[in-house]
Amino acid sequence: MAIIEINKLSKTFKVKIKDKGLKGSLKAIIKPQYKMVKAVKNISFKVEKGEIIAFIGPNGAGKSTTIKMLTGILYPDKGNIKVLGIDTKLERKKLAYQIGTVFGQKEQLWTHLTPYDNFKFFGAIYDIPESRVEKKIEEFRVLFELDEFINTPVRNLSLGQRIRCEIVASLIHEPKILFLDEPTIGLDPVVKENIRTLIKRMNKEYKTTIFLTSHDVGDIEKLCKRVIIINDGQVVLDDSMENLKYHYLNKKIVEAKMKEKINLDDEEGITILKDKGYNLKIEVDTTKKSVADALKLLNPDKIVDINIANIPLEDIISNIYKKEGTKK
Amino acid sequence: MLMEVKNQLKVSLLAIKYAVMREMLNKVTFITNIIFMILNNASFIIQWLILFSLKDNVGGYSFKQVMLLWGIASATYGFAHFFFKKAFSLSDTINNGKLDVYLVQPKNVLLSAICTDVDVSAIGDMLYGYIMLFVYGFNISSFLLFTLFVICGGLIITCVSVILNSLSFWFQKSDIIADTGNSLMTNIATYPEGIFKGVVKILLFTLIPVGIANYLPVKIISEFNIYLFVIVIGVTILFIMLAFIIFNKGLKKYSSSNLMIARI
Repeated sequence: MAIIEINKLSKTFKVKIKDKGLKGSLKAIIKPQYKMVKAVKNISFKVEKGEIIAFIGPNGAGKSTTIKMLTGILYPDKGNIKVLGIDTKLERKKLAYQIGTVFGQKEQLWTHLTPYDNFKFFGAIYDIPESRVEKKIEEFRVLFELDEFINTPVRNLSLGQRIRCEIVASLIHEPKILFLDEPTIGLDPVVKENIRTLIKRMNKEYKTTIFLTSHDVGDIEKLCKRVIIINDGQVVLDDSMENLKYHYLNKKIVEAKMKEKINLDDEEGITILKDKGYNLKIEVDTTKKSVADALKLLNPDKIVDINIANIPLEDIISNIYKKEGTKK
Repeated sequence: MLMEVKNQLKVSLLAIKYAVMREMLNKVTFITNIIFMILNNASFIIQWLILFSLKDNVGGYSFKQVMLLWGIASATYGFAHFFFKKAFSLSDTINNGKLDVYLVQPKNVLLSAICTDVDVSAIGDMLYGYIMLFVYGFNISSFLLFTLFVICGGLIITCVSVILNSLSFWFQKSDIIADTGNSLMTNIATYPEGIFKGVVKILLFTLIPVGIANYLPVKIISEFNIYLFVIVIGVTILFIMLAFIIFNKGLKKYSSSNLMIARI
């Protein structure tokens, strides 16, 4: 059974429009004008238990609006949402006991309290008996290596430690689904990696379903098996990470260092990205030419060094964003 | 249901405890805030001493009754601002999308949003209220009635603020209306009832319920009247219900925001 079911979901915001300058402001007072902005348009998808889903899209695509409707923050205009069989519109409190949320840009912890006191507070919010909260804190202290700072006020923690505590606080009540909205925003690569390990561990140890939005391709690539891309309020792609990587663009990047110069101009299925001296970088469209044929053209005897790679995920994603952008 | 109320109270009190702990980080500021608020309130006694040296009663009130009115007004203000400080800036919470945090928690959104901060100087207001009760004349029954009316009055002014601030769900910039309403309530609360006549008086017992929160308690403590007592309790319940209904109705219109926010 699907753990999240969204059916034909829509949300429109009423936004005031105003001409520039003081004259515009006066006009807006006398005769206010509004425009309707459709943030989410008729989207549908399902998520199964235990999945780690990347829910991505460019800024203003409707990601946050969707995640806010899924967590009961916003009321949808049209459509149905069932999270763990609960209607988010009607049973907000019941839903809150079952889900955890971490918004990278919005802090939930009290900054003057220590993580330990914060966890106790969250335990009270979710009506968990003291003894169980203590046990849970002890378990997380070991599992997520919080020893160093569990008794330091949150305002004295580094951003990475703070996010780690935010995640732990959202796990105190053992949620079945965790919604993470840009959890690694502003973190350095090492801390990012730590947070990713933590998320993976959570999914493995507690079978928590993870619903993640992020602009960091590393998060998506290293954590998620399925990607849902949303653009202009619509789902433009819902596929496995594997399919996205290997089939969506059907392209490979070949970088070679040659013994002598080779001319590949006008070859079908090959685009030259860089040709500088004996260094060559080409893109092979595998629907038109196989990688083997491309290598033959290069002449293996004259290759000093070679590297064949997939198109970086970042390029694939930004291509999808751009493609959908031009359709508008 | 009872369990739910108990758990809700536990969380709200815990939040208030944590907020007090934050304020106590700086001991000197904590204590001076309270003392200066008492002194600030006490300074108004001089003005009334001068007035009463010229006239025996003002607006139907004796000097002691004015002191009792001051006591009730100051303690209700203190009660509301100590326990529900954020109710007085709720429109900021609504407009800047700060309700998100409370909406994902299995607790009442309104209570969570307004019981998250305390105004330390409000302790001074509450203490001053009880000092004024001593000036008026202390006995057990006046003490109990005074305490009950402070709670009722505090809840009424909190609810009026919640209702006015909740307009932010429908109109932007309604914080101005809320601020005006709140300061109107505070300013009128310390003047004897008798100086207001006609439409203003009707307003004081309806839209700006200073009459219910302050004038009726002074009357009841001076001379107990069961009908007036029931009115105060009834109106308090009515305002609590109205505040919840209007806030929850508005919550359906809540549009959140993507501002970067920290809980400090």
